Amino acid sequence: MNSPQIESATFAGVRDSLTAIRERVTEAAMRVGMDTGARYRLVLAVDEVATNIIVHGYEEAALAGDVDVVVRVDPGWLVVELEDTAAPFDPTQTKVPTEEELLSSLDERMPGGLGVFLAMRGVDKFEYERIDSKNCTRLGVKLGAEHS
Amino acid sequence: MALNANLQMLPNRVAQITLTGELDAGSASLFKATIEQAAAKEPTRVVLKCSELKFMASAGLRVLIFAKQKMGPKTELHIVGAQPAVLNTITMTGFDRSVVIADESKAAS
Repeated sequence: MNSPQIESATFAGVRDSLTAIRERVTEAAMRVGMDTGARYRLVLAVDEVATNIIVHGYEEAALAGDVDVVVRVDPGWLVVELEDTAAPFDPTQTKVPTEEELLSSLDERMPGGLGVFLAMRGVDKFEYERIDSKNCTRLGVKLGAEHS
Repeated sequence: MALNANLQMLPNRVAQITLTGELDAGSASLFKATIEQAAAKEPTRVVLKCSELKFMASAGLRVLIFAKQKMGPKTELHIVGAQPAVLNTITMTGFDRSVVIADESKAAS
């Protein structure tokens, strides 16, 4: 029986950490053999969630904090969990652009909700839990049968 | 921050910005500053050369919104040579309706 592989890393909750967070997820996705398209979409999803934590959770609230990134290979899944100590925030409740808003021209567009929209579209599972005063956002991508 | 944004003014007041690297919430302000520099020249068109742009987050899309709103509806924004994944982000969010997408061989002149 295979035990789940789990790797955890802590990053400072600042914009400069985004590159390193993306690199970590890229490495994990390459190791499990994800195709480039799926890998990019997962990295983008993680980047968008991390960005919201860093910008809205910490920066705008004038808080200092970390982003814990836990990468797990479960049977059939690559899961990335992001934990932060900012105020309670459930990204799954964010208002994302409607179909109509996506069709309107750039001159009229409001910039909100795009990040979460891209994150949700890029993964098969997007969940949130508030655990022990931390926000925990979980992103999961289904792997091909050969990686289960 | 791993983005380079190089502005060149071409004939007919075409502003060409070559983006290299990764455009995220850390590097978006650099891109925005470059757009502002281009806007100051009152360009007839803005061309973003993207073949070396490896990653673009929603922060980059927000700068595109800013660029369009700043330049006004008469100034076309061209995205040239974008990699498939970056292009996918642009089309998935409906931005392809407001910009001109071209591949490298049809670069604006």
